[in-house]
Amino acid sequence: MNAGVEMRHISKRFDAVQALSNVSLDLRPGEVHTVAGENGSGKSTLLKILGGVIRPDKGEILVAGATKEFHSVRDAMRYGVTMVSQELSLIPNLGIAENIFIGHNQSRNKFGIDWKDTDRRALEILERLNISVDPRREVSTLPQHEQQLVEIARALSFNAKVLLLDEPTSSLAPNEVEALFKVVRQLREDGVAVVLITHRMSEMLEISDRFTVLRDGKFIDTSDRSGIDENWLIERMVINKPKASARRNYSAVGKRPVLEVKGLSDRAGAYRDISFEVREGEIVGLAGLAGAGRTELVETLSGVRQRKAGSVFINGRKAGNNSRTALASGIALVPDDRREKSTIHEMSVRDNLMLSQHKFELKHRSKRNEERIVGNWIDKFSIKASGADALIKSLSGGNQQKVVIARCLQTNPKILILDEATRGVDLGAKAEIYEILRKLADEGLSILLVSSEISEIFEISDRILVMHAGELSANLDRSKTSEAEVVAAATGVK
Amino acid sequence: MKFRMPTLSTMPAWFGVLFLEILLIIVMAITQPVFFSGSNLSNIIRSSAIPIVLGIGMTYTILTAGIDLSVGSVLAFSGILLSGMVDLMPRYFAVVATIALVTLIVGGVNGTLIGRLGLNSFVVTLGTLGIFRGISYLVTNGTTRRVDTGSLINKIGDGNVGPIPGPMLVVIVLAGISIYILKSTYFGRDIYAVGGNEFAAKLAGIYTGRVKMNAYVISAFCAAIAGIMQVGRLSSAAPTAGAGLELTVVAGVLLGGTRLSGGVGSIWGTVIGLLFLQTVSNSLTIQGVSSYWQQVVTGVLLGAAVLFDRIRLELSGRAKSKEKSNEV
Repeated sequence: MNAGVEMRHISKRFDAVQALSNVSLDLRPGEVHTVAGENGSGKSTLLKILGGVIRPDKGEILVAGATKEFHSVRDAMRYGVTMVSQELSLIPNLGIAENIFIGHNQSRNKFGIDWKDTDRRALEILERLNISVDPRREVSTLPQHEQQLVEIARALSFNAKVLLLDEPTSSLAPNEVEALFKVVRQLREDGVAVVLITHRMSEMLEISDRFTVLRDGKFIDTSDRSGIDENWLIERMVINKPKASARRNYSAVGKRPVLEVKGLSDRAGAYRDISFEVREGEIVGLAGLAGAGRTELVETLSGVRQRKAGSVFINGRKAGNNSRTALASGIALVPDDRREKSTIHEMSVRDNLMLSQHKFELKHRSKRNEERIVGNWIDKFSIKASGADALIKSLSGGNQQKVVIARCLQTNPKILILDEATRGVDLGAKAEIYEILRKLADEGLSILLVSSEISEIFEISDRILVMHAGELSANLDRSKTSEAEVVAAATGVK
Repeated sequence: MKFRMPTLSTMPAWFGVLFLEILLIIVMAITQPVFFSGSNLSNIIRSSAIPIVLGIGMTYTILTAGIDLSVGSVLAFSGILLSGMVDLMPRYFAVVATIALVTLIVGGVNGTLIGRLGLNSFVVTLGTLGIFRGISYLVTNGTTRRVDTGSLINKIGDGNVGPIPGPMLVVIVLAGISIYILKSTYFGRDIYAVGGNEFAAKLAGIYTGRVKMNAYVISAFCAAIAGIMQVGRLSSAAPTAGAGLELTVVAGVLLGGTRLSGGVGSIWGTVIGLLFLQTVSNSLTIQGVSSYWQQVVTGVLLGAAVLFDRIRLELSGRAKSKEKSNEV
């Protein structure tokens, strides 16, 4: 008899895709259980079924040994299972306490809602999570990682026995991940079962007590933490281990600066007085914590964000300061959030890839010509799509990202800026994207790579810039620095 | 180029409405012989031409995730401007000058406020809806003016050009040009891009403000033409012309599968959607149903169409694409 929650022989089909077939998962109270697998392995689907978001075609869910029906999120919550999804579902303009108790278990007095008591109970939960904030503070004013903690607080207010975290760390900086894990450990002490999905190997190894590996919707293996390592996981997650790609040759790195940024300050104050340069054929990594102003900086460079002062030069000439003219001067940006900022979901691969091509507006777009260009990119980057006219949303994340990179390259940029280019991209596609970037740099293109993953920065950069709280805090040579030095600069340690 | 049979998920949203339109025509033709008479069919075409012309302009604005509520008022304004112009100059000039002036004034105001200054389209065009209706009343003192239309204006609004009804010709020309623009030009792509994901469009170098502005200029242009057609049809210009018509037009555009949130839709859908609404209202009239009921039916149809589209998407693997996009 199991006191926890158990999923048995779950199957789920979406149209032609068998997302899950006959997968079982059992959860014990007080454990952190990682569901590992590549994108498309079905792990998100499995969590959504347990969270009551979608219903399985076959199989059953048992709570404390008895079969229960999970028809909705509310059902799942009633049995103590709560999901914190990748997209935060808080209401931004309401207070923290309001968000925690919205729709359930509201304190009441004879006039309606008892705010004092609501605040008191919210504080209790927040204290349990080690965050000290005013419960009346508006959620929209919190940084993203604290919003996530509010979501977890909301889950706890349901007396969650099982907490489902789908990629909670994908947009967090290292110190925020640490804060989150502290909370997770605390919950484990309290007897909560935490189910985790993450793409970061080091994180899952650090915190998990048990692993279940899925591949192509099938159960592969499950094991306790003891006695397994990275290789054990990779062997089970991927059929073909991505080969560690060779370091590139640096002969293409020139002396001449291609991009020069001088004294750039943001109009809204996200960063101040930034100066640096990127040379020909150089890959410069831009490290830092979330909120350090990196995204704002590169968005200013690409002309979609207003500056207060400073100037930007490309090959010694002043670069344009709106997105069209910046592109024309040779600055192309692959933004950090694919869904929100770069792809147009209802458009085809062709339209998305050719989106930065501008001519006289009433000029005819030659379909044949565009299809030839798109076809070349599809071959060159081995983009998996059914054709140039397939909708971009039918592609996997990694392939969408390749289309966005191709869109940038089609404008013949002098410098390619990538902001969190491999976030949420599976291991295979990640390796391919690194390979593409190395090749481009070898051909003489300058690359500025913003990333929150230190390992990624070290993997491909020649030089590392670090931002902390809106300022450039370090400019390091990759071969002469260490991860510790970068982390110190990013967190503001002198 | 392979021909692929459209499936539930790939067929355009307006296929369903087209099917209903054909079904309705067949049922009516069998049960009410008078429906299928030449004069009645021509009546349907003539009476749907003005909403369709407005709908073509409306499609541009809704595709950019906006809306143009001023079209009904602008129709009246255009007619009244024309009624003044015909006394001053030859009719050819009057028609061209009216279209140019209305496009410039209305398109300029709506386009600048929405495109350049980034104001909310609903609010701005609700304002211009009131302004141009008000001006029309002020100028005419609330009275209807007779207009000596001559053959040109009459042809545009009511007569025949060769064997083809004039209004139908206007629709064919405007719809044809718009289908081409939206499908095969850079501007058309920009319209869909701005409505689909404005930030992404901007980042890709599209001047999103200018694209939106142009959408409202085109909508004003279409409303100006619709105003002239109305004068040709009635031989008069009334300040009440087209009152409330903007809602029928929006309903038809949405019925044709154009998404109110922008980025998805087509001129084909708009033409079919508005043609269907006119056929329904004509059929109800022939059946002797009160015109009050027609409004109820329009509302029900719109609700049913949106619901149907939702069900269609749910059935055809929206779950799949959603699942995919969540996971990556």
